[in-house]
Amino acid sequence: MNRDVLVIGGGIAGIQASLDLAEMGFKVHLVERLPSIGGKMAQLDKTFPTNDCAL
Amino acid sequence: MDVGRHPNIDLLAYSEVESVEGEAGDFRVTVRKKPRYVDESKCTGCGACAEKCPTVTSDEYNLGLGKAKAIYKYFAQGIPSAYTIDANLCRNFQAGKKCGVCQKVCQAGAIDYKQEAKTLEFPVGAVIVATGYELFDARRIPEYGYGRIPNVITALEFERFLSASGPTHGHVHRVTDLAVQEALPEAEKTCQKAFKGLERFEKQFEMTSDAFYERYESGEFKGGDEDYEKWAAAVRAARKAKDELEELRRKAESIEAAHRLAFIQCVGSRDIRFNKYCSGFCCMHAIKEAIIAREHDRDAQVYIFGMDIRAVGKGFEEYRNRGAHEAGIHYVRSRVAEVTEERDHTPVVWYEDTKERVVRRMPVDLVILSTACQPSASAKPLADLLGIELNEFGFFKTLSHLPLDTTKPGIFICGCAHSPMDIPESVAQASSAAARAAQVLSGSGTMRLAS
Ligand SMILES: Cc1cc2nc3c(=O)[nH]c(=O)nc-3n(C[C@H](O)[C@H](O)[C@H](O)COP(=O)(O)OP(=O)(O)OC[C@H]3O[C@@H](n4cnc5c(N)ncnc54)[C@H](O)[C@@H]3O)c2cc1C
Ligand code: SF4
Ligand code: SF4
Repeated sequence: MNRDVLVIGGGIAGIQASLDLAEMGFKVHLVERLPSIGGKMAQLDKTFPTNDCAL
Repeated sequence: MDVGRHPNIDLLAYSEVESVEGEAGDFRVTVRKKPRYVDESKCTGCGACAEKCPTVTSDEYNLGLGKAKAIYKYFAQGIPSAYTIDANLCRNFQAGKKCGVCQKVCQAGAIDYKQEAKTLEFPVGAVIVATGYELFDARRIPEYGYGRIPNVITALEFERFLSASGPTHGHVHRVTDLAVQEALPEAEKTCQKAFKGLERFEKQFEMTSDAFYERYESGEFKGGDEDYEKWAAAVRAARKAKDELEELRRKAESIEAAHRLAFIQCVGSRDIRFNKYCSGFCCMHAIKEAIIAREHDRDAQVYIFGMDIRAVGKGFEEYRNRGAHEAGIHYVRSRVAEVTEERDHTPVVWYEDTKERVVRRMPVDLVILSTACQPSASAKPLADLLGIELNEFGFFKTLSHLPLDTTKPGIFICGCAHSPMDIPESVAQASSAAARAAQVLSGSGTMRLAS
Protein backbone atom coordinates (compact mmCIF):
# COMPACT_ATOMS: atom_id res chain seq x y z
CA MET A 1 0.00 0.00 0.00
CA ASN A 2 1.49 3.35 -1.06
CA ARG A 3 0.72 6.18 1.34
CA ASP A 4 1.17 9.14 -1.02
CA VAL A 5 -1.73 11.02 -2.62
CA LEU A 6 -2.05 12.78 -5.96
CA VAL A 7 -4.28 15.88 -5.92
CA ILE A 8 -5.11 17.25 -9.37
CA GLY A 9 -6.12 20.94 -9.44
CA GLY A 10 -4.95 23.67 -7.09
CA GLY A 11 -8.13 25.68 -6.55
CA ILE A 12 -9.63 26.09 -3.10
CA ALA A 13 -10.88 22.46 -3.14
CA GLY A 14 -7.50 20.97 -4.11
CA ILE A 15 -5.67 23.19 -1.61
CA GLN A 16 -7.95 22.20 1.26
CA ALA A 17 -7.75 18.48 0.44
CA SER A 18 -3.94 18.72 0.24
CA LEU A 19 -3.64 20.55 3.55
CA ASP A 20 -5.91 18.08 5.35
CA LEU A 21 -3.97 15.06 4.10
CA ALA A 22 -0.59 16.70 4.75
CA GLU A 23 -1.66 17.48 8.31
CA MET A 24 -2.71 13.86 8.75
CA GLY A 25 0.83 12.91 7.84
CA PHE A 26 0.36 11.79 4.25
CA LYS A 27 2.69 12.96 1.51
CA VAL A 28 0.77 14.95 -1.14
CA HIS A 29 1.71 15.72 -4.74
CA LEU A 30 -0.41 18.72 -5.78
CA VAL A 31 -0.50 19.23 -9.55
CA GLU A 32 -1.71 22.60 -10.90
CA ARG A 33 -1.87 23.40 -14.59
CA LEU A 34 -1.30 27.16 -14.19
CA PRO A 35 1.87 28.85 -12.89
CA SER A 36 0.20 29.49 -9.52
CA ILE A 37 -2.43 27.83 -7.36
CA GLY A 38 -5.62 29.48 -6.11
CA GLY A 39 -8.08 28.77 -8.92
CA LYS A 40 -11.06 31.04 -9.44
CA MET A 41 -11.02 32.20 -5.84
CA ALA A 42 -7.79 34.08 -6.51
CA GLN A 43 -9.73 36.28 -8.92
CA LEU A 44 -12.48 37.17 -6.46
CA ASP A 45 -12.51 40.43 -4.53
CA LYS A 46 -14.49 39.41 -1.48
CA THR A 47 -16.68 36.39 -0.81
CA PHE A 48 -20.32 35.98 0.17
CA PRO A 49 -22.04 35.81 2.56
CA THR A 50 -19.52 37.40 4.92
CA ASN A 51 -17.83 39.71 2.36
CA ASP A 52 -14.42 38.76 3.73
CA CYS A 53 -11.43 39.15 1.44
CA ALA A 54 -10.92 36.10 -0.77
CA LEU A 55 -7.18 35.85 -0.21
CA MET B 1 -2.07 29.68 2.60
CA ASP B 2 0.95 27.64 3.58
CA VAL B 3 0.55 25.02 0.86
CA GLY B 4 3.76 26.21 -0.74
CA ARG B 5 5.79 25.53 2.40
CA HIS B 6 4.18 22.49 4.00
CA PRO B 7 6.86 19.78 4.33
CA ASN B 8 4.38 17.10 3.28
CA ILE B 9 3.24 18.91 0.14
CA ASP B 10 5.15 18.63 -3.10
CA LEU B 11 3.73 21.53 -5.11
CA LEU B 12 3.92 20.88 -8.84
CA ALA B 13 2.67 24.08 -10.43
CA TYR B 14 2.65 24.68 -14.19
CA SER B 15 2.38 20.91 -14.56
CA GLU B 16 0.06 18.36 -16.08
CA VAL B 17 -0.75 14.76 -15.30
CA GLU B 18 0.20 12.57 -18.25
CA SER B 19 -0.81 9.16 -17.03
CA VAL B 20 -2.15 7.31 -14.01
CA GLU B 21 -1.94 3.51 -14.11
CA GLY B 22 -2.79 0.85 -11.58
CA GLU B 23 -5.41 0.62 -8.90
CA ALA B 24 -6.37 1.84 -5.42
CA GLY B 25 -3.39 1.63 -3.08
CA ASP B 26 -0.98 1.24 -5.96
CA PHE B 27 -1.15 3.85 -8.75
CA ARG B 28 1.82 4.93 -10.87
CA VAL B 29 1.69 8.59 -11.89
CA THR B 30 3.54 10.49 -14.61
CA VAL B 31 3.54 14.29 -14.44
CA ARG B 32 5.00 16.71 -16.97
CA LYS B 33 6.43 19.88 -15.46
CA LYS B 34 6.41 22.57 -18.12
CA PRO B 35 9.43 24.85 -18.39
CA ARG B 36 9.00 28.27 -16.75
CA TYR B 37 12.42 29.35 -18.02
CA VAL B 38 12.89 30.68 -14.49
CA ASP B 39 14.52 28.62 -11.74
CA GLU B 40 11.82 28.34 -9.06
CA SER B 41 14.40 27.74 -6.33
CA LYS B 42 16.37 30.90 -7.17
CA CYS B 43 13.66 33.40 -8.14
CA THR B 44 12.78 35.77 -5.30
CA GLY B 45 9.72 37.18 -7.05
CA CYS B 46 11.14 40.71 -7.00
CA GLY B 47 9.62 41.61 -10.37
CA ALA B 48 12.62 43.51 -11.75
CA CYS B 49 12.52 41.35 -14.89
CA ALA B 50 8.90 42.12 -15.72
CA GLU B 51 9.46 45.82 -15.18
CA LYS B 52 12.16 45.88 -17.85
CA CYS B 53 10.65 43.31 -20.25
CA PRO B 54 9.84 45.11 -23.54
CA THR B 55 7.04 42.73 -24.60
CA VAL B 56 3.63 43.97 -23.49
CA THR B 57 0.50 41.83 -23.67
CA SER B 58 -2.95 41.83 -22.12
CA ASP B 59 -3.32 40.53 -18.58
CA GLU B 60 -4.99 37.11 -18.46
CA TYR B 61 -5.55 37.17 -14.71
CA ASN B 62 -7.47 40.41 -15.12
CA LEU B 63 -9.32 38.83 -18.05
CA GLY B 64 -7.54 40.99 -20.60
CA LEU B 65 -8.51 44.22 -18.80
CA GLY B 66 -4.96 45.23 -17.91
CA LYS B 67 -1.41 44.89 -19.18
CA ALA B 68 1.16 42.17 -18.54
CA LYS B 69 4.65 41.30 -19.83
CA ALA B 70 6.13 38.22 -21.53
CA ILE B 71 7.75 37.35 -18.18
CA TYR B 72 4.97 37.42 -15.65
CA LYS B 73 3.51 36.36 -12.38
CA TYR B 74 -0.12 35.35 -12.74
CA PHE B 75 -1.11 37.49 -9.76
CA ALA B 76 0.71 39.35 -7.01
CA GLN B 77 0.21 36.93 -4.11
CA GLY B 78 0.56 33.86 -6.37
CA ILE B 79 2.10 30.69 -4.96
CA PRO B 80 4.74 29.69 -5.92
CA SER B 81 6.02 33.23 -6.13
CA ALA B 82 8.35 32.51 -9.08
CA TYR B 83 7.91 34.33 -12.38
CA THR B 84 7.24 32.52 -15.67
CA ILE B 85 8.25 33.33 -19.25
CA ASP B 86 5.56 32.91 -21.88
CA ALA B 87 7.57 31.40 -24.73
CA ASN B 88 4.83 32.33 -27.20
CA LEU B 89 5.53 36.00 -26.51
CA CYS B 90 9.13 36.31 -25.31
CA ARG B 91 11.40 37.66 -28.07
CA ASN B 92 14.14 35.15 -27.31
CA PHE B 93 11.89 32.37 -28.51
CA GLN B 94 10.84 34.05 -31.78
CA ALA B 95 12.88 33.14 -34.84
CA GLY B 96 15.39 35.82 -35.77
CA LYS B 97 14.81 37.89 -32.63
CA LYS B 98 16.92 38.47 -29.54
CA CYS B 99 16.35 40.10 -26.20
CA GLY B 100 17.83 38.76 -22.96
CA VAL B 101 16.84 41.84 -20.96
CA CYS B 102 15.39 39.88 -18.03
CA GLN B 103 18.52 37.75 -17.73
CA LYS B 104 20.60 40.92 -17.49
CA VAL B 105 18.49 42.52 -14.76
CA CYS B 106 17.93 39.39 -12.65
CA GLN B 107 20.19 39.68 -9.60
CA ALA B 108 19.40 36.10 -8.55
CA GLY B 109 20.56 34.53 -11.82
CA ALA B 110 17.22 32.74 -12.03
CA ILE B 111 16.52 33.13 -15.76
CA ASP B 112 17.22 30.00 -17.80
CA TYR B 113 16.12 30.22 -21.44
CA LYS B 114 17.33 26.65 -21.97
CA GLN B 115 15.18 25.08 -19.25
CA GLU B 116 13.35 21.98 -20.49
CA ALA B 117 10.16 20.18 -19.56
CA LYS B 118 10.68 17.57 -16.86
CA THR B 119 8.88 14.27 -16.56
CA LEU B 120 8.34 13.02 -13.02
CA GLU B 121 7.21 9.57 -12.01
CA PHE B 122 6.01 8.54 -8.60
CA PRO B 123 3.66 6.03 -6.94
CA VAL B 124 0.54 7.04 -4.99
CA GLY B 125 -2.17 5.15 -3.16
CA ALA B 126 -5.11 7.48 -3.89
CA VAL B 127 -6.08 10.32 -6.23
CA ILE B 128 -8.24 13.39 -5.60
CA VAL B 129 -9.58 15.27 -8.60
CA ALA B 130 -10.25 18.96 -7.88
CA THR B 131 -10.07 20.49 -11.34
CA GLY B 132 -12.94 22.90 -10.77
CA TYR B 133 -15.01 24.58 -13.46
CA GLU B 134 -15.03 26.92 -16.39
CA LEU B 135 -17.44 29.74 -17.10
CA PHE B 136 -19.99 29.60 -19.90
CA ASP B 137 -18.89 31.61 -22.94
CA ALA B 138 -21.47 34.41 -23.06
CA ARG B 139 -20.86 34.90 -26.81
CA ARG B 140 -23.01 31.83 -27.33
CA ILE B 141 -26.04 34.00 -26.51
CA PRO B 142 -25.51 36.74 -29.12
CA GLU B 143 -28.70 38.60 -28.06
CA TYR B 144 -26.92 39.72 -24.89
CA GLY B 145 -24.16 41.38 -26.91
CA TYR B 146 -21.13 40.13 -25.00
CA GLY B 147 -18.01 40.63 -27.13
CA ARG B 148 -19.93 43.02 -29.43
CA ILE B 149 -21.27 45.65 -27.02
CA PRO B 150 -18.29 46.87 -24.96
CA ASN B 151 -20.32 47.81 -21.89
CA VAL B 152 -21.59 44.25 -21.46
CA ILE B 153 -19.20 42.32 -19.20
CA THR B 154 -19.18 39.11 -17.15
CA ALA B 155 -19.52 38.88 -13.37
CA LEU B 156 -15.92 37.62 -13.10
CA GLU B 157 -14.70 40.67 -15.04
CA PHE B 158 -16.76 42.86 -12.75
CA GLU B 159 -15.12 41.13 -9.80
CA ARG B 160 -11.76 42.43 -11.11
CA PHE B 161 -13.23 45.95 -11.53
CA LEU B 162 -14.29 45.94 -7.88
CA SER B 163 -10.90 44.82 -6.63
CA ALA B 164 -8.48 47.42 -5.30
CA SER B 165 -5.70 45.41 -6.98
CA GLY B 166 -7.64 45.21 -10.25
CA PRO B 167 -7.14 47.16 -13.47
CA THR B 168 -9.36 50.07 -12.33
CA HIS B 169 -8.25 50.04 -8.67
CA GLY B 170 -11.77 49.37 -7.49
CA HIS B 171 -13.48 52.13 -9.49
CA VAL B 172 -16.43 51.13 -11.59
CA HIS B 173 -16.47 52.70 -15.03
CA ARG B 174 -18.06 51.93 -18.35
CA VAL B 175 -15.66 49.93 -20.50
CA THR B 176 -15.96 52.50 -23.27
CA ASP B 177 -14.94 55.26 -20.82
CA LEU B 178 -11.91 53.24 -19.76
CA ALA B 179 -10.94 52.98 -23.43
CA VAL B 180 -11.08 56.78 -23.67
CA GLN B 181 -8.87 57.19 -20.60
CA GLU B 182 -6.46 54.62 -21.92
CA ALA B 183 -6.21 56.30 -25.33
CA LEU B 184 -5.50 59.74 -23.84
CA PRO B 185 -1.76 59.48 -23.08
CA GLU B 186 -1.11 58.01 -26.52
CA ALA B 187 -3.06 60.80 -28.20
CA GLU B 188 -1.13 63.39 -26.19
CA LYS B 189 2.15 61.90 -27.36
CA THR B 190 1.05 61.78 -30.99
CA CYS B 191 -0.05 65.40 -30.85
CA GLN B 192 3.17 66.61 -29.23
CA LYS B 193 5.24 64.74 -31.78
CA ALA B 194 3.25 66.18 -34.67
CA PHE B 195 3.80 69.76 -33.49
CA LYS B 196 7.45 69.10 -32.77
CA GLY B 197 7.78 67.99 -36.40
CA LEU B 198 6.69 71.44 -37.55
CA GLU B 199 9.59 73.22 -35.83
CA ARG B 200 12.11 72.15 -38.46
CA PHE B 201 10.12 73.88 -41.21
CA GLU B 202 9.47 76.96 -39.07
CA LYS B 203 13.20 77.39 -38.51
CA GLN B 204 14.08 76.71 -42.13
CA PHE B 205 11.58 79.20 -43.56
CA GLU B 206 11.43 81.59 -40.58
CA MET B 207 7.68 81.60 -40.46
CA THR B 208 5.06 80.20 -38.06
CA SER B 209 3.20 77.17 -39.33
CA ASP B 210 -0.14 78.99 -39.01
CA ALA B 211 1.05 81.94 -41.08
CA PHE B 212 2.54 79.58 -43.66
CA TYR B 213 -0.57 77.46 -43.95
CA GLU B 214 -2.83 80.49 -44.42
CA ARG B 215 -0.68 81.68 -47.32
CA TYR B 216 -0.36 78.14 -48.69
CA GLU B 217 -4.13 77.79 -48.68
CA SER B 218 -4.46 80.99 -50.71
CA GLY B 219 -2.25 79.38 -53.34
CA GLU B 220 0.95 81.29 -52.69
CA PHE B 221 3.43 78.39 -52.62
CA LYS B 222 1.98 76.30 -55.44
CA GLY B 223 4.51 74.46 -57.60
CA GLY B 224 7.38 75.69 -55.45
CA ASP B 225 9.73 73.83 -53.17
CA GLU B 226 8.62 70.26 -52.42
CA ASP B 227 9.27 71.06 -48.75
CA TYR B 228 6.22 73.33 -48.87
CA GLU B 229 4.04 70.32 -49.70
CA LYS B 230 5.61 68.32 -46.88
CA TRP B 231 5.12 71.22 -44.47
CA ALA B 232 1.48 71.60 -45.45
CA ALA B 233 0.86 67.89 -44.95
CA ALA B 234 2.54 68.05 -41.54
CA VAL B 235 0.36 71.01 -40.55
CA ARG B 236 -2.77 69.11 -41.55
CA ALA B 237 -1.62 66.03 -39.58
CA ALA B 238 -0.81 68.10 -36.50
CA ARG B 239 -4.19 69.86 -36.60
CA LYS B 240 -5.97 66.52 -36.95
CA ALA B 241 -4.05 65.09 -33.99
CA LYS B 242 -4.98 68.16 -31.95
CA ASP B 243 -8.67 67.83 -32.84
CA GLU B 244 -8.64 64.19 -31.89
CA LEU B 245 -6.91 64.92 -28.62
CA GLU B 246 -9.42 67.66 -27.78
CA GLU B 247 -12.29 65.36 -28.60
CA LEU B 248 -10.85 62.70 -26.28
CA ARG B 249 -10.28 65.27 -23.54
CA ARG B 250 -13.88 66.46 -23.84
CA LYS B 251 -15.07 62.89 -23.53
CA ALA B 252 -12.73 62.20 -20.61
CA GLU B 253 -14.00 65.26 -18.76
CA SER B 254 -17.59 64.15 -18.99
CA ILE B 255 -16.79 60.67 -17.68
CA GLU B 256 -18.64 59.71 -14.54
CA ALA B 257 -18.52 56.51 -12.55
CA ALA B 258 -20.89 53.82 -13.82
CA HIS B 259 -23.85 54.21 -11.45
CA ARG B 260 -26.57 52.16 -13.09
CA LEU B 261 -25.77 48.46 -13.10
CA ALA B 262 -27.90 45.64 -14.48
CA PHE B 263 -27.13 42.01 -13.70
CA ILE B 264 -28.58 39.33 -15.96
CA GLN B 265 -28.88 35.97 -14.17
CA CYS B 266 -28.82 32.38 -15.44
CA VAL B 267 -26.72 33.17 -18.51
CA GLY B 268 -26.22 29.64 -19.86
CA SER B 269 -27.87 28.04 -16.78
CA ARG B 270 -31.44 26.75 -16.45
CA ASP B 271 -31.58 27.02 -20.22
CA ILE B 272 -32.43 23.92 -22.25
CA ARG B 273 -30.21 25.17 -25.09
CA PHE B 274 -27.07 25.05 -22.91
CA ASN B 275 -27.05 23.78 -19.33
CA LYS B 276 -30.29 22.58 -17.78
CA TYR B 277 -29.00 22.84 -14.23
CA CYS B 278 -28.81 25.82 -11.87
CA SER B 279 -25.23 26.96 -11.26
CA GLY B 280 -26.05 27.56 -7.62
CA PHE B 281 -23.70 30.38 -6.72
CA CYS B 282 -24.44 33.13 -9.28
CA CYS B 283 -27.48 34.63 -7.53
CA MET B 284 -25.30 35.08 -4.46
CA HIS B 285 -22.30 36.53 -6.25
CA ALA B 286 -24.53 39.01 -8.08
CA ILE B 287 -25.86 40.20 -4.71
CA LYS B 288 -22.32 40.32 -3.32
CA GLU B 289 -21.04 42.39 -6.25
CA ALA B 290 -24.02 44.73 -5.93
CA ILE B 291 -23.35 45.27 -2.23
CA ILE B 292 -19.66 45.99 -2.87
CA ALA B 293 -20.45 48.31 -5.78
CA ARG B 294 -22.78 50.26 -3.50
CA GLU B 295 -20.10 50.42 -0.78
CA HIS B 296 -17.73 52.00 -3.32
CA ASP B 297 -20.35 54.36 -4.73
CA ARG B 298 -23.34 55.58 -2.73
CA ASP B 299 -25.09 56.53 -5.98
CA ALA B 300 -24.95 53.03 -7.42
CA GLN B 301 -28.33 51.70 -8.52
CA VAL B 302 -28.46 47.99 -9.07
CA TYR B 303 -31.06 45.89 -10.87
CA ILE B 304 -30.87 42.11 -10.84
CA PHE B 305 -32.87 40.55 -13.68
CA GLY B 306 -33.80 36.91 -13.24
CA MET B 307 -36.48 34.29 -12.94
CA ASP B 308 -36.07 34.19 -9.15
CA ILE B 309 -33.29 34.51 -6.60
CA ARG B 310 -31.94 31.23 -5.30
CA ALA B 311 -30.67 31.93 -1.82
CA VAL B 312 -30.38 28.39 -0.47
CA GLY B 313 -27.67 28.26 2.16
CA LYS B 314 -26.81 29.32 5.65
CA GLY B 315 -27.45 33.03 6.02
CA PHE B 316 -28.20 33.46 2.31
CA GLU B 317 -31.80 34.66 2.58
CA GLU B 318 -30.64 37.25 5.12
CA TYR B 319 -27.90 38.27 2.69
CA ARG B 320 -30.47 38.73 -0.05
CA ASN B 321 -32.55 40.94 2.22
CA ARG B 322 -29.49 42.88 3.30
CA GLY B 323 -28.84 43.51 -0.40
CA ALA B 324 -32.29 45.03 -0.76
CA HIS B 325 -32.18 47.12 2.42
CA GLU B 326 -28.56 48.23 2.55
CA ALA B 327 -27.63 48.33 -1.11
CA GLY B 328 -31.07 49.14 -2.51
CA ILE B 329 -30.95 46.25 -4.96
CA HIS B 330 -34.02 46.01 -7.17
CA TYR B 331 -34.80 42.37 -7.85
CA VAL B 332 -36.68 42.37 -11.14
CA ARG B 333 -38.54 39.14 -11.83
CA SER B 334 -38.17 38.95 -15.58
CA ARG B 335 -36.91 37.30 -18.73
CA VAL B 336 -34.37 39.38 -20.63
CA ALA B 337 -34.86 39.16 -24.38
CA GLU B 338 -32.02 41.29 -25.65
CA VAL B 339 -29.43 43.95 -24.92
CA THR B 340 -29.02 46.74 -27.46
CA GLU B 341 -26.62 49.67 -27.65
CA GLU B 342 -27.34 53.39 -28.06
CA ARG B 343 -25.09 55.68 -30.08
CA ASP B 344 -23.30 56.87 -26.93
CA HIS B 345 -22.56 53.22 -26.01
CA THR B 346 -25.32 53.05 -23.39
CA PRO B 347 -26.49 49.44 -23.18
CA VAL B 348 -30.26 48.94 -23.01
CA VAL B 349 -31.84 45.88 -21.40
CA TRP B 350 -35.09 44.75 -23.05
CA TYR B 351 -37.08 42.45 -20.82
CA GLU B 352 -40.44 41.03 -20.01
CA ASP B 353 -41.56 41.95 -16.52
CA THR B 354 -43.06 38.58 -15.62
CA LYS B 355 -45.04 39.97 -12.71
CA GLU B 356 -46.77 42.68 -14.67
CA ARG B 357 -46.56 40.86 -17.99
CA VAL B 358 -45.31 43.80 -19.99
CA VAL B 359 -42.22 44.33 -22.13
CA ARG B 360 -39.95 47.11 -20.93
CA ARG B 361 -36.57 48.65 -21.69
CA MET B 362 -33.99 49.94 -19.24
CA PRO B 363 -30.89 51.93 -20.21
CA VAL B 364 -27.98 51.41 -17.81
CA ASP B 365 -24.23 52.10 -17.65
CA LEU B 366 -23.00 48.51 -17.43
CA VAL B 367 -24.62 45.13 -18.01
CA ILE B 368 -23.10 42.28 -15.99
CA LEU B 369 -23.72 38.68 -17.03
CA SER B 370 -23.86 35.93 -14.40
CA THR B 371 -22.47 33.15 -16.56
CA ALA B 372 -22.95 29.44 -15.84
CA CYS B 373 -20.53 27.15 -14.03
CA GLN B 374 -19.55 24.44 -16.53
CA PRO B 375 -17.33 21.36 -16.46
CA SER B 376 -13.76 22.27 -17.26
CA ALA B 377 -12.60 21.48 -20.80
CA SER B 378 -9.96 19.18 -19.33
CA ALA B 379 -12.61 17.00 -17.63
CA LYS B 380 -13.08 14.66 -20.58
CA PRO B 381 -9.39 13.98 -21.37
CA LEU B 382 -8.69 13.65 -17.65
CA ALA B 383 -11.57 11.21 -17.18
CA ASP B 384 -10.22 9.10 -20.07
CA LEU B 385 -6.73 9.19 -18.63
CA LEU B 386 -7.93 8.15 -15.17
CA GLY B 387 -10.44 5.62 -16.47
CA ILE B 388 -13.39 7.25 -14.71
CA GLU B 389 -16.79 8.34 -16.04
CA LEU B 390 -18.52 11.68 -16.50
CA ASN B 391 -22.20 12.32 -15.78
CA GLU B 392 -24.82 13.61 -18.25
CA PHE B 393 -23.69 17.22 -17.71
CA GLY B 394 -19.98 16.50 -18.16
CA PHE B 395 -19.03 16.73 -14.48
CA PHE B 396 -17.27 13.72 -12.92
CA LYS B 397 -19.68 10.94 -12.10
CA THR B 398 -19.95 9.83 -8.47
CA LEU B 399 -21.66 6.93 -6.74
CA SER B 400 -25.07 7.56 -5.22
CA HIS B 401 -24.24 5.99 -1.86
CA LEU B 402 -20.66 7.39 -1.71
CA PRO B 403 -21.06 10.87 -3.16
CA LEU B 404 -17.34 11.70 -3.51
CA ASP B 405 -16.25 8.34 -4.97
CA THR B 406 -15.78 8.13 -8.73
CA THR B 407 -16.51 5.04 -10.77
CA LYS B 408 -12.98 3.80 -10.01
CA PRO B 409 -11.96 2.83 -6.45
CA GLY B 410 -9.28 5.04 -4.93
CA ILE B 411 -10.16 8.13 -7.03
CA PHE B 412 -12.24 10.88 -5.38
CA ILE B 413 -13.79 14.19 -6.45
CA CYS B 414 -14.35 17.46 -4.65
CA GLY B 415 -15.33 21.06 -5.40
CA CYS B 416 -16.77 22.31 -8.68
CA ALA B 417 -15.32 19.32 -10.54
CA HIS B 418 -18.14 17.47 -8.78
CA SER B 419 -20.91 19.98 -9.52
CA PRO B 420 -21.45 23.73 -9.14
CA MET B 421 -20.95 24.82 -5.54
CA ASP B 422 -19.67 27.76 -3.54
CA ILE B 423 -16.43 28.03 -1.57
CA PRO B 424 -17.65 26.80 1.86
CA GLU B 425 -19.18 23.73 0.21
CA SER B 426 -16.04 23.11 -1.86
CA VAL B 427 -13.98 23.24 1.32
CA ALA B 428 -16.34 20.86 3.14
CA GLN B 429 -16.21 18.40 0.24
CA ALA B 430 -12.43 18.69 0.06
CA SER B 431 -12.11 17.66 3.69
CA SER B 432 -14.49 14.76 3.08
CA ALA B 433 -12.56 13.63 0.01
CA ALA B 434 -9.34 13.84 2.00
CA ALA B 435 -10.90 11.67 4.69
CA ARG B 436 -12.03 9.12 2.07
CA ALA B 437 -8.52 9.03 0.61
CA ALA B 438 -7.06 8.57 4.10
CA GLN B 439 -9.38 5.61 4.67
CA VAL B 440 -8.07 3.93 1.52
CA LEU B 441 -4.46 4.68 2.43
CA SER B 442 -4.77 3.32 5.92
CA GLY B 443 -6.55 0.24 4.65
CA SER B 444 -9.70 0.83 6.65
CA GLY B 445 -12.99 0.23 4.95
CA THR B 446 -16.16 2.27 5.17
CA MET B 447 -19.19 1.16 7.07
CA ARG B 448 -22.05 0.87 4.66
CA LEU B 449 -25.72 1.11 5.27
CA ALA B 450 -27.42 -2.20 4.67
CA SER B 451 -29.47 -1.87 1.52
C1 LIG C 1 -17.91 35.82 -10.48
C2 LIG C 1 -17.87 34.77 -9.41
C3 LIG C 1 -17.91 35.14 -8.08
C4 LIG C 1 -17.90 34.16 -7.06
N1 LIG C 1 -17.98 34.58 -5.77
C5 LIG C 1 -18.04 33.64 -4.78
C6 LIG C 1 -18.17 34.06 -3.42
O1 LIG C 1 -18.22 35.26 -3.13
N2 LIG C 1 -18.24 33.09 -2.44
C7 LIG C 1 -18.21 31.75 -2.74
O2 LIG C 1 -18.30 30.94 -1.84
N3 LIG C 1 -18.06 31.33 -4.04
C8 LIG C 1 -17.97 32.25 -5.06
N4 LIG C 1 -17.83 31.82 -6.36
C9 LIG C 1 -17.69 30.37 -6.62
C10 LIG C 1 -16.22 29.90 -6.48
O3 LIG C 1 -15.49 30.42 -7.56
C11 LIG C 1 -16.13 28.37 -6.47
O4 LIG C 1 -16.94 27.85 -5.46
C12 LIG C 1 -14.72 27.87 -6.18
O5 LIG C 1 -13.77 28.58 -6.93
C13 LIG C 1 -14.59 26.38 -6.51
O6 LIG C 1 -13.26 25.97 -6.26
P1 LIG C 1 -12.61 24.70 -6.98
O7 LIG C 1 -11.30 24.51 -6.33
O8 LIG C 1 -13.55 23.58 -6.99
O9 LIG C 1 -12.43 25.11 -8.53
P2 LIG C 1 -11.48 26.20 -9.26
O10 LIG C 1 -11.45 27.46 -8.52
O11 LIG C 1 -12.00 26.22 -10.67
O12 LIG C 1 -10.02 25.55 -9.23
C14 LIG C 1 -9.66 24.49 -10.07
C15 LIG C 1 -8.15 24.49 -10.24
O13 LIG C 1 -7.76 23.34 -10.97
C16 LIG C 1 -6.87 23.69 -12.01
N5 LIG C 1 -7.02 22.70 -13.09
C17 LIG C 1 -8.07 22.54 -13.95
N6 LIG C 1 -7.86 21.50 -14.77
C18 LIG C 1 -6.65 20.98 -14.42
C19 LIG C 1 -5.88 19.87 -14.89
N7 LIG C 1 -6.33 19.10 -15.89
N8 LIG C 1 -4.68 19.63 -14.31
C20 LIG C 1 -4.22 20.41 -13.31
N9 LIG C 1 -4.91 21.45 -12.82
C21 LIG C 1 -6.11 21.73 -13.36
C22 LIG C 1 -7.30 25.08 -12.40
O14 LIG C 1 -6.26 25.78 -13.06
C23 LIG C 1 -7.65 25.67 -11.04
O15 LIG C 1 -6.52 26.22 -10.40
C24 LIG C 1 -17.82 32.78 -7.40
C25 LIG C 1 -17.75 32.41 -8.75
C26 LIG C 1 -17.78 33.38 -9.75
C27 LIG C 1 -17.73 32.97 -11.18
S1 SF4 D 1 13.38 36.06 -12.33
FE1 SF4 D 1 14.94 37.31 -11.26
S2 SF4 D 1 14.31 39.45 -11.68
FE2 SF4 D 1 12.55 38.14 -12.16
S3 SF4 D 1 11.33 38.10 -10.28
FE3 SF4 D 1 12.67 36.30 -10.21
S4 SF4 D 1 14.47 37.03 -9.08
FE4 SF4 D 1 13.38 38.89 -9.70
S1 SF4 E 1 -27.85 30.51 -8.91
FE1 SF4 E 1 -29.33 32.00 -9.65
S2 SF4 E 1 -28.40 32.90 -11.48
FE2 SF4 E 1 -27.26 31.05 -11.04
S3 SF4 E 1 -28.22 29.52 -12.34
FE3 SF4 E 1 -29.18 29.36 -10.31
S4 SF4 E 1 -30.96 30.71 -10.43
FE4 SF4 E 1 -29.63 31.19 -12.19
